Amino acid sequence: MPKLAGFTDERTLHAVPPAIGVLLAIALALPSPTARAEALPPAPDAAVLRAASLGEPIAAAQMLVLYLQSFDNQPGISIPFRDLDYSRVAAWLDTALRLDPRSGYPLMMASQLYGQVSDPDKQRAMCEFVHAQFSAAPNDRWRWLAHCAIMAKHRLKDQALALRYATAIARDAGQASGWARQMRIFILEDMGETASAKVLLGGLLATGEITDSSELRFLTERLQTLGIAEKTAEPPKSRH
Amino acid sequence: MHINTICRYTALEAIRTRVPATALLTLAVLLGASLFIRELAVTETSRFQIGFYAAAARLCAVFMASLYVLASISREFNDKGLDTLLALDVPRSHYICGKLAGFMLTALIIAIVLSLPLWVLAPASAVWMWTASLAIELALIIALSLFCIITFNQLLPAAGFVAAFYLLARSLTAMRLMSAAPVAGQDTLSHQVTHGLVEGLSYLMPALDRWTDTAWLVNAAPEPTALLAIVMQGLIYITLLAVAALFDFHRRSL
Repeated sequence: MPKLAGFTDERTLHAVPPAIGVLLAIALALPSPTARAEALPPAPDAAVLRAASLGEPIAAAQMLVLYLQSFDNQPGISIPFRDLDYSRVAAWLDTALRLDPRSGYPLMMASQLYGQVSDPDKQRAMCEFVHAQFSAAPNDRWRWLAHCAIMAKHRLKDQALALRYATAIARDAGQASGWARQMRIFILEDMGETASAKVLLGGLLATGEITDSSELRFLTERLQTLGIAEKTAEPPKSRH
Repeated sequence: MHINTICRYTALEAIRTRVPATALLTLAVLLGASLFIRELAVTETSRFQIGFYAAAARLCAVFMASLYVLASISREFNDKGLDTLLALDVPRSHYICGKLAGFMLTALIIAIVLSLPLWVLAPASAVWMWTASLAIELALIIALSLFCIITFNQLLPAAGFVAAFYLLARSLTAMRLMSAAPVAGQDTLSHQVTHGLVEGLSYLMPALDRWTDTAWLVNAAPEPTALLAIVMQGLIYITLLAVAALFDFHRRSL
Protein backbone atom coordinates (compact mmCIF):
# COMPACT_ATOMS: atom_id res chain seq x y z
CA MET A 1 0.00 0.00 0.00
CA PRO A 2 1.39 3.48 -0.85
CA LYS A 3 2.19 5.77 2.04
CA LEU A 4 2.49 9.55 2.08
CA ALA A 5 6.12 10.44 1.50
CA GLY A 6 7.94 11.80 4.53
CA PHE A 7 5.35 10.64 7.07
CA THR A 8 6.48 7.11 7.89
CA ASP A 9 4.33 6.93 11.02
CA GLU A 10 1.13 7.59 9.09
CA ARG A 11 -1.33 4.95 8.01
CA THR A 12 -2.33 4.48 4.37
CA LEU A 13 -5.10 6.52 2.75
CA HIS A 14 -7.26 3.38 2.74
CA ALA A 15 -7.42 3.60 6.53
CA VAL A 16 -9.73 6.64 6.20
CA PRO A 17 -13.41 5.54 6.27
CA PRO A 18 -15.10 6.15 2.84
CA ALA A 19 -17.88 8.21 4.49
CA ILE A 20 -15.31 10.79 5.63
CA GLY A 21 -13.95 10.99 2.08
CA VAL A 22 -17.51 11.55 0.72
CA LEU A 23 -18.20 14.28 3.32
CA LEU A 24 -14.90 16.00 2.45
CA ALA A 25 -15.80 15.93 -1.28
CA ILE A 26 -19.27 17.42 -0.54
CA ALA A 27 -17.71 20.16 1.61
CA LEU A 28 -15.30 21.06 -1.19
CA ALA A 29 -18.09 21.05 -3.80
CA LEU A 30 -20.31 23.51 -1.86
CA PRO A 31 -20.99 26.69 -3.90
CA SER A 32 -18.78 29.65 -3.08
CA PRO A 33 -20.46 32.80 -1.71
CA THR A 34 -21.83 35.22 -4.32
CA ALA A 35 -20.15 38.61 -4.55
CA ARG A 36 -22.39 41.40 -3.23
CA ALA A 37 -21.60 45.03 -2.56
CA GLU A 38 -21.99 45.81 1.13
CA ALA A 39 -22.54 49.27 2.54
CA LEU A 40 -19.78 50.77 4.65
CA PRO A 41 -20.72 50.04 8.28
CA PRO A 42 -20.67 52.81 10.91
CA ALA A 43 -17.19 53.65 12.20
CA PRO A 44 -16.14 51.80 15.35
CA ASP A 45 -15.72 53.83 18.52
CA ALA A 46 -12.14 54.98 19.09
CA ALA A 47 -12.21 54.21 22.84
CA VAL A 48 -13.49 50.68 22.26
CA LEU A 49 -10.90 50.09 19.54
CA ARG A 50 -8.17 51.37 21.84
CA ALA A 51 -9.17 48.80 24.46
CA ALA A 52 -9.61 46.02 21.90
CA SER A 53 -6.20 46.73 20.36
CA LEU A 54 -4.52 45.88 23.69
CA GLY A 55 -2.69 49.19 23.88
CA GLU A 56 -1.60 49.15 20.22
CA PRO A 57 -3.59 52.12 18.86
CA ILE A 58 -1.11 52.75 16.03
CA ALA A 59 -1.50 49.23 14.63
CA ALA A 60 -5.29 49.47 15.11
CA ALA A 61 -5.41 52.77 13.20
CA GLN A 62 -3.34 51.27 10.40
CA MET A 63 -5.59 48.24 10.06
CA LEU A 64 -8.60 50.56 10.12
CA VAL A 65 -7.40 52.73 7.23
CA LEU A 66 -6.24 49.73 5.19
CA TYR A 67 -9.68 48.15 5.65
CA LEU A 68 -11.32 51.40 4.54
CA GLN A 69 -8.91 51.77 1.63
CA SER A 70 -9.72 48.29 0.37
CA PHE A 71 -13.45 48.55 1.10
CA ASP A 72 -14.22 49.74 -2.44
CA ASN A 73 -12.66 46.50 -3.70
CA GLN A 74 -14.80 43.84 -2.08
CA PRO A 75 -14.34 40.27 -3.37
CA GLY A 76 -15.51 40.17 -6.97
CA ILE A 77 -16.92 43.71 -6.93
CA SER A 78 -15.51 47.21 -7.31
CA ILE A 79 -17.57 49.97 -5.70
CA PRO A 80 -17.02 53.52 -7.00
CA PHE A 81 -15.96 55.94 -4.26
CA ARG A 82 -18.94 58.17 -5.07
CA ASP A 83 -21.33 55.39 -3.97
CA LEU A 84 -19.89 55.37 -0.46
CA ASP A 85 -21.61 57.18 2.39
CA TYR A 86 -19.16 60.05 2.93
CA SER A 87 -20.38 60.90 6.42
CA ARG A 88 -19.35 57.37 7.40
CA VAL A 89 -16.07 57.66 5.50
CA ALA A 90 -15.29 60.85 7.46
CA ALA A 91 -16.19 59.08 10.72
CA TRP A 92 -13.81 56.19 9.90
CA LEU A 93 -11.00 58.62 9.06
CA ASP A 94 -11.70 60.56 12.26
CA THR A 95 -11.49 57.37 14.34
CA ALA A 96 -8.16 56.49 12.71
CA LEU A 97 -6.80 59.96 13.53
CA ARG A 98 -7.96 59.70 17.13
CA LEU A 99 -6.05 56.43 17.48
CA ASP A 100 -2.89 57.69 15.76
CA PRO A 101 -2.85 61.51 15.69
CA ARG A 102 0.74 61.61 14.36
CA SER A 103 -0.21 59.82 11.13
CA GLY A 104 -1.13 61.79 8.01
CA TYR A 105 -2.57 58.77 6.25
CA PRO A 106 -6.28 59.50 6.94
CA LEU A 107 -5.78 63.07 5.68
CA MET A 108 -4.03 61.77 2.57
CA MET A 109 -6.99 59.47 1.95
CA ALA A 110 -9.44 62.35 2.40
CA SER A 111 -7.62 64.77 0.09
CA GLN A 112 -6.11 62.41 -2.47
CA LEU A 113 -8.49 59.45 -2.69
CA TYR A 114 -11.98 60.28 -1.50
CA GLY A 115 -11.67 63.95 -2.50
CA GLN A 116 -11.11 63.03 -6.15
CA VAL A 117 -14.69 61.99 -6.94
CA SER A 118 -16.71 64.05 -9.44
CA ASP A 119 -19.38 64.92 -6.84
CA PRO A 120 -18.75 68.52 -5.59
CA ASP A 121 -20.64 67.92 -2.33
CA LYS A 122 -18.42 64.97 -1.50
CA GLN A 123 -15.28 66.87 -2.50
CA ARG A 124 -16.36 69.72 -0.25
CA ALA A 125 -17.11 67.29 2.60
CA MET A 126 -13.61 65.84 2.40
CA CYS A 127 -12.03 69.31 2.24
CA GLU A 128 -14.01 70.36 5.31
CA PHE A 129 -12.88 67.21 7.10
CA VAL A 130 -9.24 68.04 6.34
CA HIS A 131 -9.77 71.66 7.42
CA ALA A 132 -11.37 70.58 10.72
CA GLN A 133 -8.50 68.17 11.44
CA PHE A 134 -5.92 70.78 10.41
CA SER A 135 -7.07 73.02 13.25
CA ALA A 136 -6.10 70.33 15.77
CA ALA A 137 -2.43 70.19 14.65
CA PRO A 138 -1.72 72.85 12.00
CA ASN A 139 2.05 72.38 11.90
CA ASP A 140 1.76 68.66 11.16
CA ARG A 141 -1.24 68.73 8.83
CA TRP A 142 -0.87 71.83 6.65
CA ARG A 143 0.25 69.95 3.52
CA TRP A 144 -3.09 68.14 3.22
CA LEU A 145 -4.95 71.42 3.50
CA ALA A 146 -2.69 72.80 0.78
CA HIS A 147 -3.91 70.00 -1.52
CA CYS A 148 -7.48 70.93 -0.60
CA ALA A 149 -6.84 74.61 -1.39
CA ILE A 150 -5.84 73.66 -4.95
CA MET A 151 -8.82 71.31 -5.19
CA ALA A 152 -11.18 74.05 -3.99
CA LYS A 153 -9.93 76.45 -6.63
CA HIS A 154 -9.81 74.12 -9.63
CA ARG A 155 -12.39 71.42 -8.98
CA LEU A 156 -14.96 73.25 -6.89
CA LYS A 157 -14.23 76.59 -8.63
CA ASP A 158 -14.56 78.20 -5.22
CA GLN A 159 -11.81 80.78 -4.96
CA ALA A 160 -13.09 82.06 -1.61
CA LEU A 161 -12.83 78.59 -0.07
CA ALA A 162 -9.33 78.12 -1.53
CA LEU A 163 -8.25 81.45 -0.07
CA ARG A 164 -9.77 80.51 3.30
CA TYR A 165 -7.62 77.36 3.38
CA ALA A 166 -4.50 79.22 2.21
CA THR A 167 -5.08 81.90 4.86
CA ALA A 168 -5.52 79.24 7.54
CA ILE A 169 -2.12 77.77 6.61
CA ALA A 170 -0.47 81.22 6.69
CA ARG A 171 -2.11 82.10 10.00
CA ASP A 172 -1.97 78.86 11.99
CA ALA A 173 0.87 76.73 10.60
CA GLY A 174 3.84 78.75 11.85
CA GLN A 175 6.26 75.90 11.12
CA ALA A 176 5.05 75.35 7.53
CA SER A 177 7.48 76.07 4.70
CA GLY A 178 7.66 79.68 3.48
CA TRP A 179 6.18 78.86 0.07
CA ALA A 180 3.20 77.13 1.72
CA ARG A 181 2.51 80.14 3.91
CA GLN A 182 2.43 82.25 0.75
CA MET A 183 -0.01 79.97 -1.07
CA ARG A 184 -2.46 82.85 -1.40
CA ILE A 185 -0.25 84.21 -4.19
CA PHE A 186 -0.62 81.28 -6.52
CA ILE A 187 -4.25 80.81 -5.54
CA LEU A 188 -4.87 84.37 -6.74
CA GLU A 189 -2.73 83.92 -9.87
CA ASP A 190 -4.37 82.62 -13.04
CA MET A 191 -2.58 79.30 -12.86
CA GLY A 192 -3.90 75.95 -14.18
CA GLU A 193 -4.52 72.99 -11.88
CA THR A 194 -1.51 71.02 -13.17
CA ALA A 195 0.77 74.02 -12.72
CA SER A 196 -0.55 74.60 -9.18
CA ALA A 197 -0.14 70.93 -8.31
CA LYS A 198 3.41 71.02 -9.73
CA VAL A 199 4.25 74.00 -7.53
CA LEU A 200 2.86 72.14 -4.52
CA LEU A 201 4.68 68.88 -5.28
CA GLY A 202 7.92 70.75 -6.10
CA GLY A 203 7.66 72.68 -2.86
CA LEU A 204 7.01 69.54 -0.83
CA LEU A 205 9.99 67.80 -2.43
CA ALA A 206 12.33 70.79 -2.08
CA THR A 207 11.61 71.14 1.64
CA GLY A 208 11.91 67.41 2.30
CA GLU A 209 8.25 67.02 3.30
CA ILE A 210 7.94 63.96 1.06
CA THR A 211 10.49 61.24 1.73
CA ASP A 212 8.38 58.17 1.09
CA SER A 213 9.03 56.77 -2.40
CA SER A 214 5.53 55.25 -2.64
CA GLU A 215 3.92 58.59 -1.90
CA LEU A 216 6.15 60.35 -4.42
CA ARG A 217 5.19 57.78 -7.08
CA PHE A 218 1.51 58.15 -6.20
CA LEU A 219 1.55 61.95 -6.39
CA THR A 220 3.61 61.96 -9.60
CA GLU A 221 1.13 59.58 -11.24
CA ARG A 222 -1.73 61.88 -10.18
CA LEU A 223 0.14 64.83 -11.67
CA GLN A 224 0.62 62.99 -14.97
CA THR A 225 -3.08 62.07 -15.05
CA LEU A 226 -3.96 65.72 -14.47
CA GLY A 227 -1.59 66.81 -17.26
CA ILE A 228 -3.10 64.36 -19.76
CA ALA A 229 -6.62 65.39 -18.76
CA GLU A 230 -5.78 69.09 -19.26
CA LYS A 231 -4.22 68.43 -22.67
CA THR A 232 -7.24 66.51 -23.91
CA ALA A 233 -9.54 69.07 -22.22
CA GLU A 234 -11.48 66.29 -20.60
CA PRO A 235 -12.24 65.75 -16.92
CA PRO A 236 -9.34 64.03 -15.12
CA LYS A 237 -9.49 60.27 -15.04
CA SER A 238 -10.23 59.19 -11.53
CA ARG A 239 -12.28 56.46 -9.89
CA HIS A 240 -15.76 57.89 -10.02
CA MET B 1 25.75 25.70 41.93
CA HIS B 2 22.39 23.92 41.62
CA ILE B 3 20.79 27.08 40.25
CA ASN B 4 23.44 27.40 37.52
CA THR B 5 23.07 23.77 36.49
CA ILE B 6 19.25 23.89 36.36
CA CYS B 7 19.43 27.20 34.47
CA ARG B 8 21.87 25.74 31.92
CA TYR B 9 19.77 22.63 31.33
CA THR B 10 16.56 24.67 31.07
CA ALA B 11 18.18 26.82 28.38
CA LEU B 12 19.53 23.68 26.68
CA GLU B 13 16.04 22.17 26.71
CA ALA B 14 14.74 25.32 25.00
CA ILE B 15 17.35 25.00 22.26
CA ARG B 16 16.64 21.28 21.78
CA THR B 17 12.89 21.84 21.62
CA ARG B 18 13.60 24.35 18.85
CA VAL B 19 12.48 27.55 20.60
CA PRO B 20 15.11 29.72 18.82
CA ALA B 21 14.17 28.09 15.50
CA THR B 22 10.48 28.85 16.18
CA ALA B 23 11.42 32.46 16.93
CA LEU B 24 13.29 32.66 13.62
CA LEU B 25 10.35 31.15 11.76
CA THR B 26 8.02 33.67 13.44
CA LEU B 27 10.38 36.45 12.39
CA ALA B 28 10.27 35.26 8.76
CA VAL B 29 6.46 34.97 8.69
CA LEU B 30 5.90 38.36 10.36
CA LEU B 31 8.48 40.06 8.16
CA GLY B 32 6.72 38.68 5.07
CA ALA B 33 3.34 39.85 6.37
CA SER B 34 4.75 43.29 7.23
CA LEU B 35 6.16 43.63 3.70
CA PHE B 36 2.67 42.89 2.38
CA ILE B 37 1.23 45.63 4.64
CA ARG B 38 3.96 47.98 3.40
CA GLU B 39 2.93 47.33 -0.20
CA LEU B 40 -0.72 48.08 0.59
CA ALA B 41 0.10 51.51 2.03
CA VAL B 42 0.22 54.48 -0.34
CA THR B 43 2.35 56.61 1.96
CA GLU B 44 4.04 56.23 5.37
CA THR B 45 5.08 52.78 4.17
CA SER B 46 7.84 52.32 6.78
CA ARG B 47 5.49 53.45 9.54
CA PHE B 48 2.95 50.81 8.46
CA GLN B 49 5.57 48.07 8.25
CA ILE B 50 7.11 48.87 11.64
CA GLY B 51 3.69 49.34 13.26
CA PHE B 52 2.44 45.96 12.13
CA TYR B 53 5.68 44.06 12.74
CA ALA B 54 6.29 45.46 16.24
CA ALA B 55 2.72 44.86 17.44
CA ALA B 56 2.57 41.33 16.02
CA ALA B 57 6.10 40.37 17.15
CA ARG B 58 5.35 41.47 20.71
CA LEU B 59 2.19 39.37 20.87
CA CYS B 60 3.91 36.32 19.32
CA ALA B 61 6.87 36.63 21.71
CA VAL B 62 4.57 36.68 24.74
CA PHE B 63 2.58 33.71 23.39
CA MET B 64 5.74 31.69 22.72
CA ALA B 65 7.43 32.44 26.06
CA SER B 66 4.33 31.78 28.14
CA LEU B 67 3.31 28.60 26.37
CA TYR B 68 6.85 27.28 26.52
CA VAL B 69 7.05 27.71 30.32
CA LEU B 70 3.61 26.18 30.89
CA ALA B 71 4.31 23.18 28.64
CA SER B 72 7.81 22.59 29.98
CA ILE B 73 6.83 22.55 33.68
CA SER B 74 3.66 20.61 32.91
CA ARG B 75 5.78 17.95 31.19
CA GLU B 76 8.09 17.76 34.22
CA PHE B 77 5.07 17.17 36.46
CA ASN B 78 3.62 14.49 34.17
CA ASP B 79 6.92 12.67 33.45
CA LYS B 80 7.78 12.63 37.18
CA GLY B 81 11.11 14.29 36.30
CA LEU B 82 10.51 16.78 39.08
CA ASP B 83 10.01 13.99 41.64
CA THR B 84 13.32 12.44 40.63
CA LEU B 85 15.10 15.79 40.85
CA LEU B 86 13.72 16.59 44.28
CA ALA B 87 14.73 13.14 45.53
CA LEU B 88 18.31 14.36 45.08
CA ASP B 89 19.95 16.94 47.30
CA VAL B 90 18.32 19.92 45.53
CA PRO B 91 16.50 22.55 47.60
CA ARG B 92 13.13 23.52 46.17
CA SER B 93 14.12 27.18 46.03
CA HIS B 94 17.12 26.29 43.85
CA TYR B 95 14.84 24.47 41.44
CA ILE B 96 12.49 27.48 41.06
CA CYS B 97 15.33 30.01 40.79
CA GLY B 98 17.23 27.86 38.28
CA LYS B 99 14.14 27.31 36.16
CA LEU B 100 13.27 31.00 36.27
CA ALA B 101 16.80 32.00 35.23
CA GLY B 102 16.82 29.47 32.35
CA PHE B 103 13.43 30.62 31.09
CA MET B 104 14.49 34.26 31.30
CA LEU B 105 17.57 33.49 29.23
CA THR B 106 15.29 31.91 26.65
CA ALA B 107 13.05 34.99 26.75
CA LEU B 108 16.05 37.23 26.15
CA ILE B 109 16.94 35.18 23.06
CA ILE B 110 13.35 35.43 21.78
CA ALA B 111 13.33 39.23 22.32
CA ILE B 112 16.67 39.69 20.56
CA VAL B 113 15.74 37.46 17.60
CA LEU B 114 12.36 39.13 17.03
CA SER B 115 13.84 42.63 17.24
CA LEU B 116 16.40 41.96 14.48
CA PRO B 117 14.40 43.44 11.53
CA LEU B 118 13.66 46.58 13.52
CA TRP B 119 17.36 47.53 13.65
CA VAL B 120 17.14 48.08 9.88
CA LEU B 121 13.73 49.77 9.87
CA ALA B 122 13.75 52.11 12.91
CA PRO B 123 16.23 54.36 14.78
CA ALA B 124 18.71 52.33 16.87
CA SER B 125 18.02 54.27 20.10
CA ALA B 126 14.31 53.41 19.89
CA VAL B 127 14.92 49.76 18.92
CA TRP B 128 17.30 49.31 21.84
CA MET B 129 14.69 50.53 24.31
CA TRP B 130 11.91 48.52 22.64
CA THR B 131 13.99 45.31 22.82
CA ALA B 132 14.94 45.89 26.46
CA SER B 133 11.31 46.57 27.34
CA LEU B 134 10.18 43.43 25.47
CA ALA B 135 12.75 41.33 27.36
CA ILE B 136 11.45 42.67 30.71
CA GLU B 137 7.84 42.08 29.62
CA LEU B 138 8.70 38.48 28.68
CA ALA B 139 10.50 37.99 32.00
CA LEU B 140 7.37 39.13 33.83
CA ILE B 141 5.14 36.83 31.79
CA ILE B 142 7.52 33.93 32.43
CA ALA B 143 7.42 34.54 36.18
CA LEU B 144 3.63 34.72 36.00
CA SER B 145 3.41 31.51 33.93
CA LEU B 146 5.72 29.69 36.35
CA PHE B 147 3.62 30.82 39.30
CA CYS B 148 0.37 29.79 37.58
CA ILE B 149 1.49 26.32 36.52
CA ILE B 150 2.87 25.58 40.00
CA THR B 151 -0.27 26.88 41.69
CA PHE B 152 -2.93 25.43 39.37
CA ASN B 153 -0.94 22.34 38.35
CA GLN B 154 -3.04 22.06 35.16
CA LEU B 155 -2.35 23.58 31.76
CA LEU B 156 -5.82 24.97 30.99
CA PRO B 157 -6.46 27.04 34.17
CA ALA B 158 -2.84 28.22 34.21
CA ALA B 159 -2.93 29.33 30.54
CA GLY B 160 -6.35 30.92 31.10
CA PHE B 161 -5.11 32.94 34.08
CA VAL B 162 -1.97 34.11 32.24
CA ALA B 163 -4.02 35.17 29.19
CA ALA B 164 -6.59 36.99 31.33
CA PHE B 165 -3.91 38.80 33.34
CA TYR B 166 -2.00 39.84 30.21
CA LEU B 167 -5.07 41.04 28.28
CA LEU B 168 -6.31 42.99 31.30
CA ALA B 169 -2.90 44.57 31.94
CA ARG B 170 -2.70 45.72 28.33
CA SER B 171 -6.20 47.17 28.13
CA LEU B 172 -6.52 48.62 31.62
CA THR B 173 -5.59 52.19 30.66
CA ALA B 174 -8.26 52.24 27.94
CA MET B 175 -10.76 50.78 30.41
CA ARG B 176 -9.87 53.51 32.92
CA LEU B 177 -10.46 56.19 30.27
CA MET B 178 -13.84 54.70 29.35
CA SER B 179 -14.81 54.28 32.97
CA ALA B 180 -13.81 57.85 33.86
CA ALA B 181 -15.95 59.42 31.15
CA PRO B 182 -19.13 57.39 30.58
CA VAL B 183 -21.75 58.72 28.15
CA ALA B 184 -24.55 58.37 30.74
CA GLY B 185 -25.22 57.12 34.26
CA GLN B 186 -22.15 58.66 35.87
CA ASP B 187 -23.82 58.92 39.27
CA THR B 188 -25.33 55.44 39.45
CA LEU B 189 -24.11 53.00 42.07
CA SER B 190 -23.13 50.40 39.46
CA HIS B 191 -20.87 52.91 37.72
CA GLN B 192 -19.27 54.01 40.98
CA VAL B 193 -18.54 50.37 41.87
CA THR B 194 -17.16 49.57 38.40
CA HIS B 195 -15.05 52.73 38.39
CA GLY B 196 -13.67 51.92 41.83
CA LEU B 197 -12.88 48.36 40.72
CA VAL B 198 -11.04 49.50 37.58
CA GLU B 199 -9.09 52.12 39.54
CA GLY B 200 -8.20 49.53 42.19
CA LEU B 201 -7.00 47.09 39.54
CA SER B 202 -4.83 49.77 37.97
CA TYR B 203 -2.92 50.11 41.27
CA LEU B 204 -2.33 46.37 41.43
CA MET B 205 -1.46 45.52 37.84
CA PRO B 206 1.45 46.60 35.66
CA ALA B 207 0.45 49.06 32.92
CA LEU B 208 1.70 46.83 30.11
CA ASP B 209 0.15 49.05 27.44
CA ARG B 210 2.89 51.58 28.21
CA TRP B 211 5.65 48.97 27.88
CA THR B 212 7.28 47.97 24.56
CA ASP B 213 5.38 50.81 22.89
CA THR B 214 5.21 50.82 19.09
CA ALA B 215 5.05 54.64 19.20
CA TRP B 216 8.70 54.64 20.34
CA LEU B 217 9.67 53.12 16.99
CA VAL B 218 7.47 55.20 14.67
CA ASN B 219 7.29 58.56 16.47
CA ALA B 220 10.21 59.20 18.80
CA ALA B 221 12.30 57.22 21.28
CA PRO B 222 11.26 57.91 24.87
CA GLU B 223 13.44 59.38 27.56
CA PRO B 224 15.66 56.76 29.27
CA THR B 225 13.68 57.39 32.47
CA ALA B 226 10.72 55.62 30.81
CA LEU B 227 12.80 52.44 30.57
CA LEU B 228 14.00 52.91 34.13
CA ALA B 229 10.38 53.00 35.31
CA ILE B 230 9.69 49.78 33.37
CA VAL B 231 12.77 48.11 34.89
CA MET B 232 11.65 49.08 38.38
CA GLN B 233 8.05 47.91 37.80
CA GLY B 234 9.35 44.70 36.23
CA LEU B 235 11.66 43.97 39.15
CA ILE B 236 8.86 44.46 41.66
CA TYR B 237 6.40 42.19 39.83
CA ILE B 238 8.95 39.51 38.95
CA THR B 239 10.17 39.35 42.57
CA LEU B 240 6.59 39.19 43.84
CA LEU B 241 5.63 36.41 41.42
CA ALA B 242 8.84 34.43 42.03
CA VAL B 243 8.31 34.57 45.81
CA ALA B 244 4.66 33.56 45.36
CA ALA B 245 5.76 30.62 43.18
CA LEU B 246 8.35 29.60 45.82
CA PHE B 247 5.71 29.83 48.53
CA ASP B 248 3.28 27.60 46.65
CA PHE B 249 6.00 25.17 45.59
CA HIS B 250 7.17 24.70 49.18
CA ARG B 251 3.61 23.93 50.22
CA ARG B 252 3.16 21.25 47.56
CA SER B 253 3.34 17.63 48.64
CA LEU B 254 5.72 15.85 46.28
